This record gives sequence, structure tokens and C-alpha cells, in this order.
Amino acid sequence: MAVLILAQITLGVMAATWRVSPAKLELFFWHKSTGMLILALVALRLLWRLANPTPALPSGMPAWERAAARSSHLLLYLLMIALPVSGWIVNSASNIPFRIFWLIPLPAIVAADKSTADLVALVHGGLFAALALVLVAHIGAALRHHFVKRNAVLIRMLPDAWRTP
Amino acid sequence: MKEIVVLLGLCGLVLAGALNPAQGADWKMDAAGSKLEFIATFEKTAAPGVFKEFDARLRFEPEKPAGGSLDVTIKVTSADMSIADVNKEIRGKDWFDYAGFPQAEFRSTDLRRKEGNHYVARGTLSLKGVKQPVEVPFTWTGSADGATMEGELTLKRGAFGIGSGEWAASNVIGADVKVKFKVKLRKAG
Repeated sequence: MAVLILAQITLGVMAATWRVSPAKLELFFWHKSTGMLILALVALRLLWRLANPTPALPSGMPAWERAAARSSHLLLYLLMIALPVSGWIVNSASNIPFRIFWLIPLPAIVAADKSTADLVALVHGGLFAALALVLVAHIGAALRHHFVKRNAVLIRMLPDAWRTP
Repeated sequence: MKEIVVLLGLCGLVLAGALNPAQGADWKMDAAGSKLEFIATFEKTAAPGVFKEFDARLRFEPEKPAGGSLDVTIKVTSADMSIADVNKEIRGKDWFDYAGFPQAEFRSTDLRRKEGNHYVARGTLSLKGVKQPVEVPFTWTGSADGATMEGELTLKRGAFGIGSGEWAASNVIGADVKVKFKVKLRKAG
């Protein structure tokens, strides 16, 4: 998921800044396809999260750290949904025919309208900026847990068999 | 001067009509009931467009199609693919080149019946400065107050230089463009 999101960010930035050419359209195609894949995976992930208990935070974490962890995770989930959905709205409002990975036709969720497309494209960019900030905090905090506080918060994401005692 | 030329032209037409009664009836297009679509593909997904302005003139006798003719003029600059950014792009030199070639034409050289109400018009399509032989198949449905001709054909956009340079590659924008038409006609005169 993390790899997909980083690839997605790269594709999105490249697609947005590339000069108009077949390569730009190709970048957008992959950006949109990956975005819809991420949206589907986030939905699965949310179901999983609802059905299973979340791992407990390490004991002895100060209250502000707990609050920061909770709110940044909540923000990440919101952004992981809002980014693909806003992209979907831009695509619908722009009236661009599109099939996810050439296979699944993406239905329009709003009517074709240029001003909607322009506005939501701005929102999409703003959400991306927010995601970049939260990701920096999220990754920074994970590294801090590992290297500074020396707890298992980062390592415990690995399957049991991969962990060295 | 102009009027005289037009008058002479009209006399010529009348005369030609009188001398060639077998050429069949003249038909005029009813623009409101007619549609000319072109369907490109984008990443293997249909991307439809339409020429909002075009005109078809037809001399046609369903029972005796030979000797008839079909002339179509298409205002290329009236193309609309209903995507703002795309409509801006297709004006340019790489695509339709509105400035250089604002109009396209089809002139038939031969009309014939295939079977039943299926016909085919063979002729020349001039588009973006390129002339290519094209076969236009159509069906003919007569009614009390007129007739409808409908059909579709597939063109290679590359043959007309539509999408030149780096756009000539067909992996993103497909090579084939389907052209679909429905033309409502009324007997002229």
C-alpha cells in the first residue's frame, strides 16, 4: 500500500507537470488506474480494521503522542479516500472516457462541467499537499519510534516469521 | 457578373436534368434530424465526437442507384468531442488543423446497391489536404415525407495525417476512427 501510494504520488506529479503529449496521457491513465486500485484497497483495509482490533499503542506514551498518532492516522484514512474520490470527480466532470487498467469502465459520479473540473482539480492538489505533510509526520514518527524510542511499533508490521528476536 | 454566372450555372443544371432523367431525384438534408459522429479511442476506450455542421446533397433513386451521386461537405471546425481540453487540442496542426483545412469533402464517383436497402457509395474523401478513396456503406429507409440514410465506416486517422508527429503512435489514441452518420433527407424542389 505504501509503495502504491508513493508510486501514485510520483505518477500524479509527473502527469500534472508533463507537457501535452502521448506520454502525459499515458501517465494520467496509470495515475487514474492506480488511484482506483488504491480506493478499492482502502475500502478493504477499512473493513479489515473494523473487523479486527487495532494493535495497542506502546504503554508509557505521553497523551499528546497518543492524540497525535490517532489524529494523523484518521487524517491518513480520510485522505486515502478523499484523494481518489476527488480525482474521480475531476475525471467525471472533465467527461473523459476511462477504463481502469483498460478493463473496468469508470462511471461518472458528477455531470460534465468545466468549472467543477477546474475547482475539484484544485481541491485534489490541496489534498495532495495535506497528504505530503501528514506523510512526513507519519514516517518521521515511525522512524522516531524505531531509532530514538527503540520500541517495536515499526517492526511489528512485519509478519512474525520475518522478525528477528 | 456573379448573378449571370449563377444563372448560367442554373440553366446548365436544368438542362443536364432534362437530358438525364434517369439520374434520379434530388434530395436535401434536414440538418435538425441529421447527425455525423466520429468515434476515436483513448486508451482502448471509445471517445466520441461529432461534427455539428455538415451538409449532404444526394441525387438518388433507390431502385436505380447507378448514375446518382452523393456529395458531403463537413465543417471540420465544428468538431466537438465534449471535453474542453481535447476540443482545444484538436484545433492544432497535429490534429485537424482548423486554420489550414477548415473543410472536408466526400464526392462519390459511383453509387450501387448491395442488397435490399443496403447501398454503397464509392468516392473520394478530402480531409486535411489528403484525398483518399473511401467506401461509404449505407441503408436507405424511405418514408412518406422523405428518407433516412444511415451507415458507418472505419477510417485510419494516420492516412489523413490526423494526429501527426508523436501522436501518430496508436497505443494511446487508437489508429481506427469509426464514422457514423444518420442523414434525414427531403425531396428537393
